Amino acid sequence: MGAILSISINTFREAIRNKIFYALAFFALLIIVTGHFFADISLHNEKRVLWDIGSGLISFFALALSIFTSASIIHKEIDKKTIYLVLSKPVERWKFIAGKTLGLLATVYSVITAMLLIFIVEMLLTGVSPGVNIFKAFILIMGEVLLVVSVSILFSSFSSPFITGMMTIGAVFIGRMLPDLKQILFMKYEHDFWRNLAESLLQVFPQLYLFIPNGHDFNGYHVSITTDFVTWGFIGWSMVYTLTYSCVILAIASLILSKRDLT
Amino acid sequence: MAHLPLEIINLEKSFGTGFLNLKKVKPVKGISFEVKEGEIFGLLGPNGAGKTTTLKMITGLIFPDAGTISIFGKSSLSASSRKRIGFLPENPWFYEYLTAREFLKMTGGIFSIPSSEIRQRTDSLLERLGIAHAADTQMRKFSKGMLQRAGLAQAIINNPDFIILDEPLSGLDPIGRKDVRQLIIDLKKEGKTILFSSHILSDVEDVCDSVVILNSGLIKQKGRLSDLTATSAGTVEIQTQGPEMKLSDFPEKLRDSIQIESISRGTRLIFTEENANKNEILSFLIDAGQNIDKVFKHNRSLEDIFMENSSESKQQEN
Repeated sequence: MGAILSISINTFREAIRNKIFYALAFFALLIIVTGHFFADISLHNEKRVLWDIGSGLISFFALALSIFTSASIIHKEIDKKTIYLVLSKPVERWKFIAGKTLGLLATVYSVITAMLLIFIVEMLLTGVSPGVNIFKAFILIMGEVLLVVSVSILFSSFSSPFITGMMTIGAVFIGRMLPDLKQILFMKYEHDFWRNLAESLLQVFPQLYLFIPNGHDFNGYHVSITTDFVTWGFIGWSMVYTLTYSCVILAIASLILSKRDLT
Repeated sequence: MAHLPLEIINLEKSFGTGFLNLKKVKPVKGISFEVKEGEIFGLLGPNGAGKTTTLKMITGLIFPDAGTISIFGKSSLSASSRKRIGFLPENPWFYEYLTAREFLKMTGGIFSIPSSEIRQRTDSLLERLGIAHAADTQMRKFSKGMLQRAGLAQAIINNPDFIILDEPLSGLDPIGRKDVRQLIIDLKKEGKTILFSSHILSDVEDVCDSVVILNSGLIKQKGRLSDLTATSAGTVEIQTQGPEMKLSDFPEKLRDSIQIESISRGTRLIFTEENANKNEILSFLIDAGQNIDKVFKHNRSLEDIFMENSSESKQQEN
């Protein structure tokens, strides 16, 4: 555990000492403060607008920070050869991946928790009760961050930061649009074989739509953060999914790194 | 039975280069050697000889194609084999946003050393390596010499039994080199085993007990440094006091083998033991009424051995 903890603390330090990260985090906090201006100009929909904007912005910046901080995470260590100082010690390569992942999660979770706290204060000042749904939405966002960070670390274990960033953004788009893509493919292919094949292939992508249920239909009912939000059971299963998927993805990343010569 | 710090048997490594990695280069072509406990072992060779590749295989950064590496009896493929070693890579890169103290705390944490002990060791190492004044400065502001010292500190933070240093003297100024050489000697006195690579031969000669000379991925020479430099071709110098001697004073059979020159109070003779018998010459000089002032034996220098092996390899390649 000592190695994983040390690597994760170092990863956290690296992120929070990065000026670009600061700029992004500051911008995220600033923009959430402006949420109530949009609420003010809405007609009797202040609560819904504030909730939608707040949760949407937290989700957006969580993804942006996840991709920004994780795209170069492994490649940079190899490129700058700092990885030599770690892996020449009694550290299995999976521990390096685990430490990096935990450090990144701590970084992104810190920023989005700060965003959430500001958002709650903003709601209270505007006279809107935070309610339990905002916490449910926050837990789902945390799950989505774990998935995106894991996918990005997998790509980072064998490709450059630019390619990793592009592939992760692609995976996020596909993951968020999976229900629509399924429908399109079902309309396009009539034969069961092709439909099953297409569905199986889509299963490989992270099912990110599960983590932004607000405004979508699930099991026949419309989910809204201001009224009927998802149940705790749904959140529980989403977390089981995100943990399982992330563990598999990170195991593959560890396997790739463990076979790699660090020249 | 106590295991050797390092035992390498038939080690080979190749890398793919060019389009689709189809072209193969083989920097290490089947080398075997061992490092004994408590010795300072030098891994020598020109650039591209395979030194760094070998050290990276020992430290688990790259994997051998064939052969085995045992560190205190454990395969280098297992991470646990690195518990008792410390490693300084060549031209190390650092987490430049960390201070030296944070960096050592991180490396100590990797070894699961308790926090209080890390603090104590950090203070003592920073002091020992002369960078205590910069303990809380981010390493991006360090000079090359300070970085090398920070690298050495992380290599010994775990109080390792076996220390591996890849070109530890490169890029250092004369004072830095002297300090690092002294540190290596001090570590040996503390009972540590040290393996270091270098192409600065005078530094190696000063501190090493044993060496391996690599060239083009093959071992060209290995053994105790004293044995290697003592073997054959030694040059002998005799200084005498007495009447000045000329070459014509010597028996004819010796004249082609020796060089002589006048010195302030006598004569200096230089010859190689291969070409002339030292005892025979000494007897002749005494009989000729000369007082033997000094007799030196100049061993082959490490540089001589190194250059011989380098030129042999170049000839074979051509």
